[in-house]
Amino acid sequence: MEEQFDPVIVAFVCNWCTYTASDLAGTSRLGYPKNIRLIRVMCTGMVDTQYIFKAFLEGVDGVLVSGCHPGDCHYINGNFKARRRMKLLKTILPQFGIAENRLRLTWIGASDGIAFAETMQRLVDQIRELGPNPARLQNVI
Amino acid sequence: MAAESMSKKQGSAMVVGGGISGMRAALDLAETGYHVTLIEEASHIGGVVSQLDHQFPTDGCGICKMLPHADAEHVLQQCVRRGLSHENVTICLQTRVMSVSGEPGNFTVTLQQHPNPVDPERCIGCGLCIPVCPVDVADPFNAGKAACKAIGPPTPHMAAGPYRIDTEACTQCGKCREVCPTNAIRLPEADRKSFTILVVDDEQIIRDSLSEWLGEEGGFSVITAESGEKALEVLEKKPVDLMLIDIKMPGMDGITLLEKALEIREQMAVMMITAYATVDTAVSAMKRGAADYLVKPFDPEELLPKIAAMYHELTLPPGPEIRVGAIVIAGGTDEYNPASGKNPFGYKIIEDVVTGPAFERMLSSVGPTGGRLVRLSDQRPLRRIAWILCVGSRDVQAEADYCSGVCCMYSLKQARLAQKAARQQGAKIETVLYYMDMRTFGKSGQQYRDAAEAEGAVCRRSRVHSIVSEETSGDLCIRSADTSGQIREDRYDLAVLATGQRPSAKVTELAEMLGIASDPRGFINTREFSLTQTSGNGVLAAGSCTGRKDISDAVICGSSAAFHASRLLHAGGGNLLEQSAPAESAADIFREPPRVFTAVCGCSGAVSGIFDPETFSGKCCGDPSLYSVETADWLCTDEGLADLAENIRQSGANRVVIGACRPLCVPEKKKALARAVSLLPELIEIVDLRSQVPAASEEIPEQQKADTRETMNFRLEMAISRVKLADPAFAPNIATGQSVLVVGGGIAGMTAALGVADHGYGAYLVERADRLGGNLNWLHQTIEGDDIARLAEQTRSRVENHPMITIYTNTQVTETRGTGGAFRSTLQTGDEAAFSVEHGAAILATGGGQAETEAFGRGTDARIITQQELESRIRENNLDPEQINSMCMILCAGTRQPPKNYCSRICCATALKHALHVKEKNPEAGVYVLYRDMMAYGFLEAWFTRARKAGVIFIAYTPETAPEVSAQQDAVRITAMEPVLQREVEISADLLVLATGIEPAECGALARSFGADTDAHGFLREAEPKWQPVESLAPGVYACGIGLRPASIAESVASAEAAAQQAVIRLGRNHQPAPKNIARVRHSLCSLCQSCIAACAYGARKYDPESRMIIVDPEACRGCGACASACPNFAAYLEGFAPGRMLSMLAAAADH
Repeated sequence: MEEQFDPVIVAFVCNWCTYTASDLAGTSRLGYPKNIRLIRVMCTGMVDTQYIFKAFLEGVDGVLVSGCHPGDCHYINGNFKARRRMKLLKTILPQFGIAENRLRLTWIGASDGIAFAETMQRLVDQIRELGPNPARLQNVI
Repeated sequence: MAAESMSKKQGSAMVVGGGISGMRAALDLAETGYHVTLIEEASHIGGVVSQLDHQFPTDGCGICKMLPHADAEHVLQQCVRRGLSHENVTICLQTRVMSVSGEPGNFTVTLQQHPNPVDPERCIGCGLCIPVCPVDVADPFNAGKAACKAIGPPTPHMAAGPYRIDTEACTQCGKCREVCPTNAIRLPEADRKSFTILVVDDEQIIRDSLSEWLGEEGGFSVITAESGEKALEVLEKKPVDLMLIDIKMPGMDGITLLEKALEIREQMAVMMITAYATVDTAVSAMKRGAADYLVKPFDPEELLPKIAAMYHELTLPPGPEIRVGAIVIAGGTDEYNPASGKNPFGYKIIEDVVTGPAFERMLSSVGPTGGRLVRLSDQRPLRRIAWILCVGSRDVQAEADYCSGVCCMYSLKQARLAQKAARQQGAKIETVLYYMDMRTFGKSGQQYRDAAEAEGAVCRRSRVHSIVSEETSGDLCIRSADTSGQIREDRYDLAVLATGQRPSAKVTELAEMLGIASDPRGFINTREFSLTQTSGNGVLAAGSCTGRKDISDAVICGSSAAFHASRLLHAGGGNLLEQSAPAESAADIFREPPRVFTAVCGCSGAVSGIFDPETFSGKCCGDPSLYSVETADWLCTDEGLADLAENIRQSGANRVVIGACRPLCVPEKKKALARAVSLLPELIEIVDLRSQVPAASEEIPEQQKADTRETMNFRLEMAISRVKLADPAFAPNIATGQSVLVVGGGIAGMTAALGVADHGYGAYLVERADRLGGNLNWLHQTIEGDDIARLAEQTRSRVENHPMITIYTNTQVTETRGTGGAFRSTLQTGDEAAFSVEHGAAILATGGGQAETEAFGRGTDARIITQQELESRIRENNLDPEQINSMCMILCAGTRQPPKNYCSRICCATALKHALHVKEKNPEAGVYVLYRDMMAYGFLEAWFTRARKAGVIFIAYTPETAPEVSAQQDAVRITAMEPVLQREVEISADLLVLATGIEPAECGALARSFGADTDAHGFLREAEPKWQPVESLAPGVYACGIGLRPASIAESVASAEAAAQQAVIRLGRNHQPAPKNIARVRHSLCSLCQSCIAACAYGARKYDPESRMIIVDPEACRGCGACASACPNFAAYLEGFAPGRMLSMLAAAADH
């Protein structure tokens, strides 16, 4: 049997909402795929586009940015800043040979442990379908 | 002077109740520098709000926003629903107050702690015990709508533990103890076998069945006796812990036996057994010393828990004794149980009739339906939902002549959430609210209602007669009558009863113990013009135990109670502070290459098959900073941690990564370890591996093992790559001005000035008018009859005679420079030369006045007056009620619709006050009140009832059917649509009084000069309307009074006290280190593009033209890092998240 492609996904999660949800998912034994590598940030608004580029260039197959629901941001409007930034970034990514749907933005609240686990599983399946990040196979820049 | 006293200030307080107001009070006192013991009877803190996933007005959860942000090192920065941790707060869960003695400033309190068989230090939340537990309990957190086990996390949010055991439901089978990998469960040694119960009953069958239930199922030792005489013989010979006595027995009856038995054994607990007919006798037996009674025939489901509860009560060890200076009661309220009322609306009979709090859980993703909108009875999707408001509130028959104050808003919120959920599914949903008055009296309540209605919520002013479930379809038929008496029937899938609140019996009991007054209903009484001062000195009340509060009111009351407690402790000097460990100096390792010590807790063998130190070092062999990799054991215990610390010390490493589980992740443990190894806490990373590692006894397949190994490895690698570049800064100390500028000399401003001055800080009180007092100068008395002129006089004289307060009347603030901690404001008195004052904080109490309107003929006739004019006439004795034949009032004149789309909160109460004044002096006079929704919230409802009884005629109108006014020679004619009669009526009035509401004084420019802001209606803008209601976004700038939000006098006073307390906390931070986790600038990389300034939501960044540098205000910065991502040059960065560390972590994460 052909070995299944195991994507690596870096998830930038905000301290207040999605990180708490991931913790809840873990401690509630819901289990989420090992492909997800969480990087806790204080707010999605601090996720620099350069980190996302860097991740893709390092060969990561998918990047998730996930924070509080709109209106819930611990820091007033950081998640809106992230939303704006990700929208722009998605238009730029294809120019570098990276499919825009390798980048995802979601809102997962602190008590949404189940939603976190489900979203992660879905994300892994989607990225798996996309196949490996081309940057892994060749030098893009 | 004040600066020194701050560091030496001592004292401690106790807060009873861990809900929102209790937490707020505890956090405020802790931040002021006092030690606080927070007592909570439940097994988790958070109170009602921990059950609410969605809170008005954002419909999200914002509870984390109440955490103090300036001193992030003292308090764990995480979701508060997972627990609270503050250096100065000791939280005692499952604890209650047994007795209190002493005096204000020095109380001795005896506590009783319900022992938790699960050791919180050891429980790692692995969850192994949950599936093996055979006992199912209706989960109280999910309002009984879902089942949980007798062991498990106290709330779904705290899945990481520590767990708790429902000791009343627990059968002590010991299965959890067998599987616990850390030996955290210790079922009580003194087992039930040594607890002897004597059953006295003449009927054999009762004796036998009780023996079986209590002996075989309950595990107690049971002896029986068939008569009183026999029982006394047994008592003489054997020790008995509990006696069950039948009341009706031949020969010696139960009561006689009770008395005789208690003569032999004074301390013994006795429960009476009674038939339903003799319950009265059983109740009277309780006066003679019986502890409780059981009613025949027994329900074994209820009997055993009752006996078990009694057993736990009797075997509880006496709890610790604490000494405190002040006591804050924040015990909250009980929820009304509709089944106990005269009209239960089918509650507990029809499954699809639920209460508001239960529906709140159904909307939660961790609730009984997982957040899906389905019926509990048949899982059918919900398409039609009805809310019945005022169930158990505003109901004289239910002995609740008060309004619960929150149900209207939560029903609107739930309707909006249901609409939103349906929209997301692409479905249509019908949401109907049956209401009497929609009480949207909060600052943004009216806008929220408008939005809800725009989204499809239907507000139907009707009374519901009954709810009947149709057998075949399961539909609920709701029969209701509208205002005109028209009856209609509608079908729904679900009915939500917006249940009101009832005073908590436990709070009443506590009030009795403390000797403080409570009202006949059981709510705690507060003094006049205060929401938090009880009749007892040194005892404060916060939150809804004094009457229902919403979140922002509860937060304000929490702060206000903390203020009074703090003032008392400050005045007494205090001597009860628990000495915290002295700060130890950390080694300076910044010139050394990083040496990372890595340890993974073996978790009693669970990890051994998964994690191998050597393989891991091999994997990281390219990293020179990795110093050593080890496994450790029992890091959850103090001994284990001490061993590890010793190892780290000996290794000479200068950075540490530990893979462990929850107990180690609390900041105290990390700090303790940091102290033990003489490193800064920032140099220690603790990785919670628990959520990834299956526990010891689980048989796990190889594939899963490999996956877990991979996860653990990259998590550790990421932590190592992060910690090796850690470069914690030593924050400089910040000096703070030791005085406060209070702008506005009304009641709020005067109270705030007195508040800070009583804490030993200077206050500059600036008033634009020539006299202090503001609106108090024309107000007469409150609806309760409290004398406002006297309040004004007393407060003014206290302010004028206070040595720490400098008053500037006829003065305005013309300019302000500086920021939190160091302001310099320019003041101008009349035409005199301007001068400046320096201050560390500012409280804006700019107030407001009565709004003016052109509606309803205002300005066209002298008989059309406003409430203020009427009040002044009454105050100056210019109004003779005897001369009034007919008086009409129109409420909401020009308010609650754009452009002034807010409720002013006070006009309805004022209208009731004036209507009653006229009607009670002259019962013949016709008094008509034209209203939209009577905002008689809380206890004001009783005055509404009284006015209706007195014969005041209330006529509801809507903006569409607004009354028309024409001033004629003989009278003012008001034409209105009368909804009960369904026809137009004409009122000829001698006097038309318009309630025009509150308008805030113009303060936009002033607010902006302080870095604060105003909202669309001109009110000062809060940092967060619910969780930071008196703070502005600018550091050191607070707001209170009616310039902040419409409020009654008592509410204004409470907000002023809350603001004063925040200012006191702020000033107390003088010479303290600046917050650490904030944004910084690498000036060498900075191109001065100022993108970061635009990105900062807090205005914390400024361009300093003199030094040509971007400056970060450490007080204003909250550490979100928005500036860092806006910076094109990596010049702006967030401490702890510097680009180097982020990129290093990314590289580790991307490593395949």
